Amino acid sequence: MKKENQRLMCDFLLNNGIQNMVGVPDSTLQFLIEHGLKEKKAIIATREEEAIGIGVGMVLADSPSLIFMQNAGFANCISTITSLVKLYEIPLLFIIGWRGYSQNDAPEHELVGKIQPDLIKLIDLESKIVTDKNWERNSRWALKKIQSSTPCALIVRRIENG
Amino acid sequence: MDKNRAINIILQNVNGPIVSANGHISRNLYEIKDLDSNFYMIGSMGLASSIGLGIALKNSKKTVFVLDGDGNILMNLGSLITVGSLKPTNFVHFILDNQIHESTGGQPTHSKRVSLEKIAKAAGYAVYKTDNKLDLEMILKKIKTVKGPIMILIKVSKKSKVGKRIDIEPLMIRERFTNSLK
Repeated sequence: MKKENQRLMCDFLLNNGIQNMVGVPDSTLQFLIEHGLKEKKAIIATREEEAIGIGVGMVLADSPSLIFMQNAGFANCISTITSLVKLYEIPLLFIIGWRGYSQNDAPEHELVGKIQPDLIKLIDLESKIVTDKNWERNSRWALKKIQSSTPCALIVRRIENG
Repeated sequence: MDKNRAINIILQNVNGPIVSANGHISRNLYEIKDLDSNFYMIGSMGLASSIGLGIALKNSKKTVFVLDGDGNILMNLGSLITVGSLKPTNFVHFILDNQIHESTGGQPTHSKRVSLEKIAKAAGYAVYKTDNKLDLEMILKKIKTVKGPIMILIKVSKKSKVGKRIDIEPLMIRERFTNSLK
């Protein structure tokens, strides 16, 4: 996603209910995270599961939160999502950068990138892919989900030169 | 000291939300005193301190107490760094250190050989340490005027009575906990 659209999406989410962003940096989401930091709404955690824990605490304290990470980190989080987020029905919004979407991405992203869509389906986390064209519509969808107490994810594909 | 005794003393001396680590610690707490303001973790080992941190950052009116174990915190040492960096003043982190993974059969942790006290101090916690009732009671009185983040390391014995399983639905645990924060 383009820099300007990442910034606009971040503002849109922060202006429509999201109060905190917690996560681990990802280059695909670089501009969204930079904007969150600039707005003093983002916290960088040491790893993705920790970020989810902090976000869960914030939601328990009635403060809607989003968690940002790369899909490699998402793979680290399967147990935390199933035994914490899903088990206690904590409405967190995940924003996940999808490395390994393009076939010419770095080798460490290849396999996990390939199984990303299946992985997220298997753990029953509702998700949509966001693009420069649909970010506003899909952000509204995600906000509605978390308002109705359902965790969900927005996926941003890593497209080279795009 | 006995772990259940330590939890009993903590409950008599603190007032506020408690996040308890998965495994036997949540079961011990549940058995000793079930309160709406207890958030019992069932799974997601290691994350009690992170959940507590999130609550403390967003609810500055209450002091948040985390009942953690040595095996649990060793799974999430990065949490000490984040807590030390964000410096929540309303955050008290108990480590009930029995030097074993009790609920999986008593396998050793590394807390015997590596000082959690030093790690927490380096991260910026005010750290207190005890292995007995009198000191623990004194520390719990003292911390009322100390700014967090605070860590209280309590050396507990390996064998302690196991509490009953938590039979409240997770959604109910969440809802009553959130209501207790208001």
